[in-house]
Amino acid sequence: MKRLLARGAPLAAFLALWQWAAWVPISFNFPTPWQTVVALAELLGSGALLQASATSLQSLVLGFGAAILIGVPLGLLMGVVRGVGRVARVYLDLLIALPTAALIPLVILSFGINVVSSAVIIFVFSAPFITMNAYGGVRDTRPRLVEMARAFGASWGKLFTRIVLPSALPMILAGLRLGLSRAFLGLIVAELLLSPFGLGKLIMNSRSMFEHDKMFATVAWTLVLAGIALAVLARLEARLLRWRAA
Amino acid sequence: MSATLGIAIERLSKSFGAVQALADIEIQVKAGEFLALIGPSGCGKTTLLKCVAGLLPADAGRIVIGSRPVSGPGGREASLVFQDFALLPWATARENAEFGLLLRGAPAAERTEAARRALAKVGLAGSFEQAYPAQLSGGMQQRVGLARALAVNPQVLLMDEPFASIDEQTRRILQDDLLRLWSEERKTVVLVTHSMEEAIYLSDRVVVLSPRPGRVHRVLDVPLPRPRETLDVRASGEFARLVDELWQILKKMQ
Ligand SMILES: Nc1ncnc2c1ncn2[C@@H]1O[C@H](COP(=O)(O)OP(=O)(O)OP(=O)(O)O)[C@@H](O)[C@H]1O
Ligand SMILES: [Mg+2]
Repeated sequence: MKRLLARGAPLAAFLALWQWAAWVPISFNFPTPWQTVVALAELLGSGALLQASATSLQSLVLGFGAAILIGVPLGLLMGVVRGVGRVARVYLDLLIALPTAALIPLVILSFGINVVSSAVIIFVFSAPFITMNAYGGVRDTRPRLVEMARAFGASWGKLFTRIVLPSALPMILAGLRLGLSRAFLGLIVAELLLSPFGLGKLIMNSRSMFEHDKMFATVAWTLVLAGIALAVLARLEARLLRWRAA
Repeated sequence: MSATLGIAIERLSKSFGAVQALADIEIQVKAGEFLALIGPSGCGKTTLLKCVAGLLPADAGRIVIGSRPVSGPGGREASLVFQDFALLPWATARENAEFGLLLRGAPAAERTEAARRALAKVGLAGSFEQAYPAQLSGGMQQRVGLARALAVNPQVLLMDEPFASIDEQTRRILQDDLLRLWSEERKTVVLVTHSMEEAIYLSDRVVVLSPRPGRVHRVLDVPLPRPRETLDVRASGEFARLVDELWQILKKMQ
């Protein structure tokens, strides 16, 4: 009961604030929470939202998947081979510091306007963080553990799989979580600017038609999707890092 | 199954760049002997143990365990025990105890069996097997470290200040357990310590190293009766006299 209250209270406060904002209203045609829920139901019923989600998730899976498949091994390589790490981290630092959205025109120019270009932008948004965390994770490996394993005659392969990889795992997983948030950010930025598909397009279309309730519903839906994806990752993390809770 | 092995350290020298850590070290450890190494901080005790374990190559001289010259890490004769335990935080006590065998490619059933036996030897049987290091006290963590070293059934135990970060009461219990294990298993032990009492209480001989570069300064025999863990040796006048003699040697060396 107490926990329910602790969890429900912030949500209730948020909804109350929202209701109040719609009452005032703080801007033209500002939808109430209830209007948003109705619009959400409508969008779900018509299939428009699911179709847009499918399109968006497609680029998300493509972009974020590529970011994991390339970012994690690259980060590990950077950590294990010092020379690679020294060179690559300069570029990664640049990529992280850069206003990534500025790359979008470049991406459009190279890939055109399609699902792939969204995926590329998602990749650019998330991969540097995933890579940097994997790199940091390897560098966090305690030298003493390496020494211990070497004393038992561990080969390079065993050192990597039995010491370096598990040492880096917490940071790798944290990097995936960070990367996923960045991937959603990249997704929305890409679709708002590139438009013709996905959730971003739905948001833009609703806005231009002054269907602000639908726009809000789409934004809320996007947040729910991101929340679910992050929760799944958090569960995975808790499972893999059971020893930490101990 | 395996005969106990002695260690011959012959004219061993080791430098790190311009810093000479060890110079002309000459020590013969007899098979089954309990040898303590003591000396000021930075005199090269850890370096010496690492050379014996094959983790560091010697610049000059050589080390022979039994009849095999040490040429690199991974030799099956010796196991290391570390001051900071060096346990894998993501592995349970049993998985940690199995780790040496895992690296040597032993089959799962054999690993589990050997790890169980080793954990039982150090007094960690039953439910502790499934505990992670973070759930164990320092003393218990070092028991796991000792079990991991014993599980591969080495003839030589190399211990680098194994009890230095453990509270005094637990340390005395661990010292007694180590003595009991040593008399049962008849292994050759080289133990580095900063504690004069510990050196005298545990060992047959104490090797005193001089400050940098480390050389053998003196070797002190410890003719206290055994089994010391049951004889209340610490209360004897002879024990106090030997600790004082060791102190006089160390004091004059400063
Ligand atoms: N990897 C290394 N690189 C450079 N110098 C080193 C290295 N390892 C040890 N040394 C130096 O060699 C000397 C001996 O170090 P060592 O750790 O063996 O001393 P120790 O007797 O174990 O000291 P302590 O009692 O503090 O543990 C020290 O001066 C140390 O700074
Ligand atoms: Mg040392």
